[in-house]
Parts: sequence; C-alpha cells; structure tokens
Amino acid sequence: MSDKAAAMSGKTAVMSGKTIICRCEDVTLDDVHCSFELGYATVEEVKRYTGLGTGPCQGKECMVLAARLIVSVAHLGGAPATVAPFTARPPLESAPLAIFVAAAGDDEDPAR
Amino acid sequence: MTVIRFEGDELEAHPDDNVAVALYRAGVRTLSRSIKYHRPRGIFCLAGHCGACLMRIDGQPNVKACRTPCRDGLVVERQNAFPSADLDALAAADFFFPRGMDHHTLMTGNRALNVVMQKVVRQIGGLGRLPDQPVATLPAPRRRHVEVVVVGAGPAGLAAATALGRAGRQVLLVDEQDRPGGSYLADPRFGLAAADRAVQCARAAGAEILRDAAVLAWYPEDAPATGAPPGLLAVHVHGQGLLRLTAERYLYATGAYDQNALFADNDRPGVLAARAVGRLLVQHGIVAGRRPVVLGAGPYARALAEALQGAGAEVIRVDGVATRILAARGRSWVNGIEVLDPGGAKPRRISCDMVVVAALPAPASELPRQHGAGVTLRPEAGGFACIVGGTGEAARGVWACGDVTGFVGPAAAAWQGTAVGEAVARTFVDQP
Repeated sequence: MSDKAAAMSGKTAVMSGKTIICRCEDVTLDDVHCSFELGYATVEEVKRYTGLGTGPCQGKECMVLAARLIVSVAHLGGAPATVAPFTARPPLESAPLAIFVAAAGDDEDPAR
Repeated sequence: MTVIRFEGDELEAHPDDNVAVALYRAGVRTLSRSIKYHRPRGIFCLAGHCGACLMRIDGQPNVKACRTPCRDGLVVERQNAFPSADLDALAAADFFFPRGMDHHTLMTGNRALNVVMQKVVRQIGGLGRLPDQPVATLPAPRRRHVEVVVVGAGPAGLAAATALGRAGRQVLLVDEQDRPGGSYLADPRFGLAAADRAVQCARAAGAEILRDAAVLAWYPEDAPATGAPPGLLAVHVHGQGLLRLTAERYLYATGAYDQNALFADNDRPGVLAARAVGRLLVQHGIVAGRRPVVLGAGPYARALAEALQGAGAEVIRVDGVATRILAARGRSWVNGIEVLDPGGAKPRRISCDMVVVAALPAPASELPRQHGAGVTLRPEAGGFACIVGGTGEAARGVWACGDVTGFVGPAAAAWQGTAVGEAVARTFVDQP
C-alpha cells in the first residue's frame, strides 16, 4: 500500500454517520476522499467533482476545510502555499434576482 | 413584543431578535432540511454565512432567517421537507445512501429511465419553491461615489473608518449585519458596550454607516457613472435595490467566517460555531445549552467556556487534538458526543445538549481577491489570508486589515484598523 493509500484508508475506520464538509450541498468527507482517489486534488478540481462550494454559502464554510485536507491527505503534508483557492465568483451573497433585473435597463453608462 | 406567524402558529418574538433567534428562543430546533439527504438543519453561524437557516419568509424562498428582523405578521415557513421539517419522509435518502450519493455514477444505461430518475431527483433535491407572487415593483437601482469605502463594520473596519474620518476623509462603512460591531458582538470579552463605543467613535469622526448592506461583488469591467476608472462594488441593501458603489480608495475589513470541525454527523442541529453561541449570549442574553461541550482550542474556546460557566452552564471542554471527537449523537438535536482519549482503545460517550465548535475562523478574502489582492493558504491564520504590505495595501488602490489578512482577533484587528486607516488617509496627502 502506498503512503497515500495508507493515509486514505484510515479515513472511515472509526466514523459511523456521514461527515459533512459542505453543508449547503451535502458533500461528505468520503466524497472528497473519492475525488482525491480519482486524482482530483486541487481545490478547484474538488469543487468541480463534488459540487462543494457551489451552494448558497459559496464555499465560506467548506473551501478551507477542503484546502486543509489537500495539504494533509492528498499532498501528505506538502507546502500549504502551493494550494490555491477556487475562483471567487459573483455574487458572493445570495440576493433577489429582481434587484439585477431592475438595474439591467440602467446599464447604458455614459462612460461606455 | 412582536408577533410573527410560524407555520400557522402565532409566535411572540423580542423586537431585537432576528427570525433565527426568535425561533430558537421559542424552541424550534429544525429550521430546514438539507438539499440532498434531507438532514435536519439548525442554526450554526448566526452571521449569515453558513446557509443553514434558509427559510421561506413572506412567500420568498431561501431567505436567511438570521438576517431577517422580526416584524408583526411576518410569515415564516420551513422548506425542502415533506410532510414537515420535523418529520421529513424524504430523509429516507439519507438512510438509503449511507455511503453517500455520487451523482457521477447515478446515471443508468437506459435513456428513458434517466429521464424518470432526473424527475425523481428534482422532486427530492433542490432548494425551495418559487415565490407565491411575481415582483410587483422593481426596486430602483442607485449609484454612489465616495472618497473611501470600508467594507465590514467589525473591530477593524470601525477603527479604520474612525481614523479616516478624523483625518477629514469622507468614509462610507458598509456592513451586512443589522447591527454594526462584527466580532465584538460575539465575544463576551468585548460585548455590546465595546461595539457601541466603536460605532460612536466612527460616527463622531464623521463616518457614515450603511447597515443591512451586503457587498455582492467587485465588478472590474463595469463603468461607474462618471469618468472614474472602471470597476464598481455591487451592494444589495436589504429591502432596497442594487447600489453601484465607487470610491477613490477601497478598504476591506471583511473579517473571517466561522468553520466547523470534521466528525461524523457534524451537521447535526445543536453543533454551533463558538461565535454563534457568543452572539446568543452577548447580543440576545440566551445561554445556549445547560451542558455544552466546547470543542477545540481556537481563539474563542476559553472565553466562551468561561462565559457559559459564569452564566450557570456546566461546561465540558474537549480539545479535539489529544482527545479526538469521533461523532455527534442525537437525531434532531445533539444529546452527546463520542470521543477517543489519548491511548484509549474504546470510544467514550459524553452527554451534552450542545457542541460549541471553537475552530479558527477563516479569512473572508473573496472580495479583496476579486479586487486584485493576492491570498496565500496559511492554516495557522485560519485559511486563505489576504497578502498585504506594511501599510495594509493589498493591490493598487486597495487595502485590507483585520482578520481578512489572517485571523488576529478583535483587539489586534482594531489596532490594525487604526494603522491602516491612517495610512490610507496619508495617501490623499502624499498623492493629491
């Protein structure tokens, strides 16, 4: 068993129920480990594979947890500085669509 | 007393409570069900960041209960559950998929069956139903330009705005909460008095505070009204329309988000962030839990444990490192945890009525990142911390201070805020 596989095999030894890493999208710790096993081991790839960080909170709760797991499990303690966050897409907060609809007609900016 | 309507019942609420706190006070523990497995969801961060308290409020789906003030006749319902959030039949999904559902492998070989499956999954999954009524009148958008915009009215932002105001600059302080003060309001070592003092200082210095205003994004390509350089902040002012905000200088004091710990059933209602428990205590006078476990050795662990103890709770501390937490127990609310002691062979059960997660909060660096700031993963500072120079400059025309540059806590954040606010004020003199 490789070091990486050994590190991963301990993941559910004492766990019983689901360990939720992303509350918004119900992404579990197992889902993230599964993504690592398939070779998706950057924050952006884990997001795309598991859907983590794509819910109402946009990763405020799960992105750093995923990054920490990447450092400790997937990179086996590699340098944290090499781990990049996923793109921070707008809007950062949920908002009613009506406010954008109302602003759409107002877009003929004098500067354009 | 204010009276709100919760699923047909009238419910009395303190006028200062938001909907999440009012429901908690009234003993409502399950606020919603989760998107996929229909697991019960209760309050976690109470700061509008975690997405665990989305409810249907006045016919609008997915409204954050912790960001909605109570008013007479407000209609509050739970969503994503059948027949009810307390006893949700759809939670069978959680039971039938103990190892989780991987949507990559759910596809069947049969095209017709896939169509049926998609319909079923759409019924089970998803977040809320469309609003009852179409929008009657669109909220009018506005534009505004100021000298300096400070995002976040916590310890750092309030101190920075005070320094800028005293230096004679026009400052607009934008904050997403209904009450300015940020982490002062969640920390029993500081509390309401410290928050109000800092707010008074900022106002006395001439700073304007815009509350209930969430900054949605920095749009670099959008043009402001006048000939100013491109780029603007899109701000959603609660109950109003979109505000397109521009400034000569931008200062981000966005703070940090509360984080959860990883253990089985860590999403169970009753597992709360330390600062949420602090908010309940400091802001609302609620001692959450008679026998709480304070989990972790984060910056709020000791202060919260002492404050809860002082308020009469029987506090149990678990550091989470030497003694590891394995699982939470309880169905709709925690009633215990399983831990493994150092060298222990068998898990030990501790009964409790709350788990207070005192993890290191993670810097809220998305907004400065959109605005050109760099970040680096610093686990010891809570996460992706904004990289700043000696005077807090993060990019051209962009500054950051406080927890967003790496967690420092309220006292150091306020000190940084003053220093960075003064530095930003000097740039107006240096480069007129």
